[in-house]
Amino acid sequence: MTDASGATAMSKSISDTKGRQRLASADQRRLGFYLTLPTQILVLFIAVFPLLMQLYISMTDWTPLSGLNWTRAYELWAGFANYRDLFDDDRFFGALWRTFLIIIIAVPIEFLLGLAIAMLFMEEFPAKKVFYSALLVPMMIVPAVAGYMFFLLFQSDGPINQLLSLFTGSKVAISWLSDPDLALAVVIMADIWQWTPLMFLILLAGLLGVPNDQLKAATLLGASPWQRFVTIVLPKIKTIMIIAVAIRTIELFKIFDTLYIMTAGGPGVATETISVFIYKITTLELVWGYVAALALLILVTLSIVAALGMYLLQRNKSRASA
Amino acid sequence: MQRTFPFEIFRYGMILLALFIAMIPVAWMISMAFKPIPEWSALGDDLTWWPRQPTLDNFRFIFGQSTNDLIVELEKTAGRPILASLLASVIGTLIAMVAGTSAAYGLSRFNSGKNLPLALIQLRLFPPLAVMIPVMIMWTFLNLIDTWWGLALIYGIVTLPFSFWLMKTYFDEMPREIEEAALVEGCTRFRVFTRITLPMMAGPLASSALLVFILNWSDYLIALMLTTREWQTIPVYMASLSSSMTGQLYGAKAALGLIAAVPPVILGIAIQRHLVRGLTFGALKQ
Repeated sequence: MTDASGATAMSKSISDTKGRQRLASADQRRLGFYLTLPTQILVLFIAVFPLLMQLYISMTDWTPLSGLNWTRAYELWAGFANYRDLFDDDRFFGALWRTFLIIIIAVPIEFLLGLAIAMLFMEEFPAKKVFYSALLVPMMIVPAVAGYMFFLLFQSDGPINQLLSLFTGSKVAISWLSDPDLALAVVIMADIWQWTPLMFLILLAGLLGVPNDQLKAATLLGASPWQRFVTIVLPKIKTIMIIAVAIRTIELFKIFDTLYIMTAGGPGVATETISVFIYKITTLELVWGYVAALALLILVTLSIVAALGMYLLQRNKSRASA
Repeated sequence: MQRTFPFEIFRYGMILLALFIAMIPVAWMISMAFKPIPEWSALGDDLTWWPRQPTLDNFRFIFGQSTNDLIVELEKTAGRPILASLLASVIGTLIAMVAGTSAAYGLSRFNSGKNLPLALIQLRLFPPLAVMIPVMIMWTFLNLIDTWWGLALIYGIVTLPFSFWLMKTYFDEMPREIEEAALVEGCTRFRVFTRITLPMMAGPLASSALLVFILNWSDYLIALMLTTREWQTIPVYMASLSSSMTGQLYGAKAALGLIAAVPPVILGIAIQRHLVRGLTFGALKQ
């Protein structure tokens, strides 16, 4: 759409040499093809071929221990048995539920905290840039290292218990990471700590795009801060809010690094999420046919969710511009 | 809007509180990195936030010098993992940038590869673990397991969505008059791309490359699956670092964590103006 004006200007400027342009555009198509070729090959290499391979393996009971090359996995043909087993796997549903639980708790908190801090940054004030940069630091820490930071903080003889002892006056020695509920809480806290800055970053970019004169006009007309927020700011940053929440939800669905460093999914399976579950059955139990079936199921589900999300976002956009 | 005195107090108070919480975990790890062994785990009451006897022993230890307090020897020092992280991240960034930039230009100017935007979004959406079995089989077949180049290859593919989408938005925004002028002057289309467009895009290219580098450097999971001994990256090595004699090597790991954490923080702050665009696939600009 935005290219239309440029394209007409371009065609006008070289309309007198139309023959040459047609020749050029065949050339250009070829150049375009070659430019996109490496990426196309890499996508084929990592997506299409592996998915076909995965589909094949998921129909067998093949494992790397079976002494067969994977191409001969058909000798261990299992049909849809792996897929059927998935629906009886309590550990899988437990991991799925835990992943959703983390998302449901962490994302809204990150969103609200990020929005609140972003609103404090809407106007100019001294040292704003320094505070802004410093607040972004947590999201730039390598996630595995962030996991280790929280591992250190929440040791039973660590500083968090020390601070708690200071406030309560009596000695606190909670073993955070070996208690099932508390371990999950620490995992969620670590995620909120690391990713609230991202929400802040994205939402602030949205807030700064809200026209200042409209806000001023509304203030002059006597609108309260809340009215200003609901009637002027919110409609303008609704799409941005959706994008921010969607990004965090998608990333959190894959949560692995911080969590695995802190608890390795434990104690027991108390903090085992989907990614940790897949990692463990891939590397420890080596039931690769089963893992392949599970992975495909997740990929198909995510594809549907993604297509649905994109469709809704497009519709939202076109409706907003209409 | 209103700039009342109490509100300014409230603003600074809240920001300082947020900053305080943001810095606690970082401060504690830095403190641990400079603590001698007796202070690593002081059983509760005795913890100090400022090391009583600051020391560089932890850093010396991970690079192979055993200290008086710590009699254990590391069978493997941190030098090799740092090299592995650097090589895999840098070459991975190169792959992602070369493929992503040219594809983005192809799409932006010649409308080629119209399947790529969605395909690459999906690539980013999927958990890497969900294709790990085929990848492990393929990497074994290609002899790429436990090599930095095998890691670089997968890093290049995994971060392709970022380089592609970022460069696409920058190319889309770039005015085309200069390219057209060069074409009229008789430059070939490809020369226009390499001699005119790319130099003009030096800034965006650099910031995109740095973002991709940060993402590669931050990986743990992929390296955990695809490296075993020789070319473990820093996070994998760090996680494996413990000793049967002393148990958890808290201070040594903290020192290593600090080494891993510093580059992305510095680079990230350097490119913060581009972060919003980069992390939202160009959906938002700052």
